[in-house]
Amino acid sequence: MNHTDDLQSRTLTIKRTFDAPVEIVWEAWTQPEHVAEWWAPKGMKVKVVEHNFKVGGKWKYSMPMPDGNDFISEGVYSVIIELQKIFTSADFRPMTEGVEMQSFFEKEGEKTNFTFNVIHATEEYCKAQEKMGFYNGWGSALERLNTLVKSLNK
Amino acid sequence: METRRDIFQAIADPTRRAIISLIVLQAMTPNAIAEQFDSTRQTVSNHIKVLQECGLVTSKQKGREIYYQIHPKKLKALADWLEPFQKMWEERLDNFGDYVIKLKNKKQNK
Repeated sequence: MNHTDDLQSRTLTIKRTFDAPVEIVWEAWTQPEHVAEWWAPKGMKVKVVEHNFKVGGKWKYSMPMPDGNDFISEGVYSVIIELQKIFTSADFRPMTEGVEMQSFFEKEGEKTNFTFNVIHATEEYCKAQEKMGFYNGWGSALERLNTLVKSLNK
Repeated sequence: METRRDIFQAIADPTRRAIISLIVLQAMTPNAIAEQFDSTRQTVSNHIKVLQECGLVTSKQKGREIYYQIHPKKLKALADWLEPFQKMWEERLDNFGDYVIKLKNKKQNK
């Protein structure tokens, strides 16, 4: 398998166009008081523990889970280009560790094209999954779980 | 003595997640599971033990063989909480999109 294919199979990409100027989209994505408003799934709360928005700076968000533990998301910014792009490492414990998140902002008049990549983990992390043909690690496991759960609900 | 294992701790390990992925489709013998991994049988067996301790995996005897299988109720509890990664991000970006529009409107009304 060549490197590009491998990278693609490890990358989740989501594209959106927001009906708002890039300055507002950038602000909503990068300011902690805004992040706290949209990061958590509906019905859950997120606490911005740390938010050091500069290259080499750390961010850490904490979400209380139903079982009393905290679901921690954290990472370190590696690239920040104002109004254009942000790269950061990210660990989502316990689900997905060692991913890179890339966010691209593109001004289109009064709208903003937004591209979001999550590049999954290192080869090391994927090794057990790769052996069985799973490239997204958790993703395929969860698809199977979901299929099973749906069949249980019938 | 604390015997009950935390389910999230149990699935934090990639090998254990791989084991779940395997036996979610069909019950398997310890040998069949171990064959799928590079690690020793003992290591795989320890992972299965952790999964059993948190209730995610149960065993049943069939003839002379032991089969490991997923415990559906426990799995459902887990799956209810753990949404697929992509879906999680789709929803998060939906949230974000709604919020961006709210923020835009707020700024325009100032």
